[in-house]
Amino acid sequence: MFMEVKKHIKLIGKYFIFNLAAITEYRTSFIVQVFGMALNNASFAFFWWVLFDKVGAGIGGYDFRDVMFLWAVASTGFGLAHVFFANANRISGMIITGELDTYLLQPKNPLINSISARMSATSWGDVLYGIILMALIKASIGMWLMFGIGIFTAALLITSITVVGQSLTFYFGNMEAVGRSLREFTITFSIYPESIFKGPLKVLIMTAIPIGFITHVPLRLAHEFSWGIFFLLLGVAAAYCLFAFVIYMNGLKKYESGNLIITRM
Amino acid sequence: MRKYMAIAGISIKNALVYRANVTGRAIFYFIFIFVFFSLWSVIYSGNEIAGYNLTQMIWYVCMTELVMFCSGSGIFGRMNQEVKSGSIAYQLLRPWNYIFKQFAGTLGEITFSASIFTLMAIIMGLVFVGPLAGFDPVAIPFIIVSFMLSITMNFFFLMSIGLLAFYFEENTPFFFIYNKLLFVFGMLIPIEFLPLWAQGILRYLPFSLITWAPAKMVVKFSFEHALAVIPLQAGWCVLAVLLALFVFSRGVRKVNVHGG
Repeated sequence: MFMEVKKHIKLIGKYFIFNLAAITEYRTSFIVQVFGMALNNASFAFFWWVLFDKVGAGIGGYDFRDVMFLWAVASTGFGLAHVFFANANRISGMIITGELDTYLLQPKNPLINSISARMSATSWGDVLYGIILMALIKASIGMWLMFGIGIFTAALLITSITVVGQSLTFYFGNMEAVGRSLREFTITFSIYPESIFKGPLKVLIMTAIPIGFITHVPLRLAHEFSWGIFFLLLGVAAAYCLFAFVIYMNGLKKYESGNLIITRM
Repeated sequence: MRKYMAIAGISIKNALVYRANVTGRAIFYFIFIFVFFSLWSVIYSGNEIAGYNLTQMIWYVCMTELVMFCSGSGIFGRMNQEVKSGSIAYQLLRPWNYIFKQFAGTLGEITFSASIFTLMAIIMGLVFVGPLAGFDPVAIPFIIVSFMLSITMNFFFLMSIGLLAFYFEENTPFFFIYNKLLFVFGMLIPIEFLPLWAQGILRYLPFSLITWAPAKMVVKFSFEHALAVIPLQAGWCVLAVLLALFVFSRGVRKVNVHGG
């Protein structure tokens, strides 16, 4: 078991090196994409700055720095998820086209193998943006510490939620639109103050789709650290990874191979 | 003209066949409006901010999003892909103006989206905050004209940005930046939230004229506003079409065709 995990971490590392070499081959294009994405995210900081300025008070118990912390964790976490596992967004497409066959023939777990096979260049812009934002808001040490941990749990949760959404195609036919909407849902709900969501929606984002653990729980910990909530955060991230793995592997039993011939370059 | 009408007719049929494409966008539209409803509900406590009350603000967001969801945003990706893959070469031989053919070909998607999202916008506005107080049906023809100009202007600007692929290896950042200028200068918040000096400039720029101008016409109609913004929108619309024609005519000279 331990050796298997070690082998797959090694595989993710190898994919990372190859993918990075591939996207940096066209260096100018890569740099333009990274800064374009960082600038793209910055527009929302402008929106929040105008809003806080106009309202003149906290919004739902959050101040400007708190909202920027949510953005920093979400942005860098999302970036890391798409630097390492960008192909998770294509699971549904791979199932439909039969592209999954290629991964099934290889002596590695098909989930880890397939989702690590691609890196998104623009996601480096997201990674960078979160770090710049943290520096700009002059974050406290507590915020930096929770940022350092939160970006990894966020990356794992975003990837797991994406895998769950995309894997529904194994069970119910083409669910690409649902998978994409779930991803948008995840991002959108993680970048607004927790207090604006109420009732069943709040229960949903804290349980079945644990979006609240992506940014809101790390912010709570940055303000008031508690070992109990900290371990809960780690536990939820690990449990959801396992859940996504089980959903995918069970779904794979229903997969029907196509006869698509593709070349992986 | 008749051939463009025929292309538009086919495009409408296609849009009706591929209805499922709209489902995902409809879900996202709902999520977006819902999040903004939740956010503004927390911010407002019976007061007005920058001259807008909660009901007006929610209807405002419903309307700006309507423009964004109806503008055939896929045109950027399509232009980008056709130029980069070289498939544009096949289109150059056809007996039509490439730019107007693309517009006619997207009209179906725009018409279909407009009917779905207008209905959604009205239902969501009514469910979340109720009817707009003092809404005058006299405003409807002005609103329709303003929305049509906004959507057309946005379409041709997006097309021009997509055609920048003739000149730049990577043109996606231009798309990001353009979209975000729309976001911050009218889509997420009315320009009245910004400092007075910025409002003075933004009233004349296309970013605000695409989103703020028609949305304000719905939530706070006045003849003064309508007569001030519609000529500006029409002017920018003509400029947007000319820009697309210019970018295309200059860019297409860079195309090298090496056989089939």
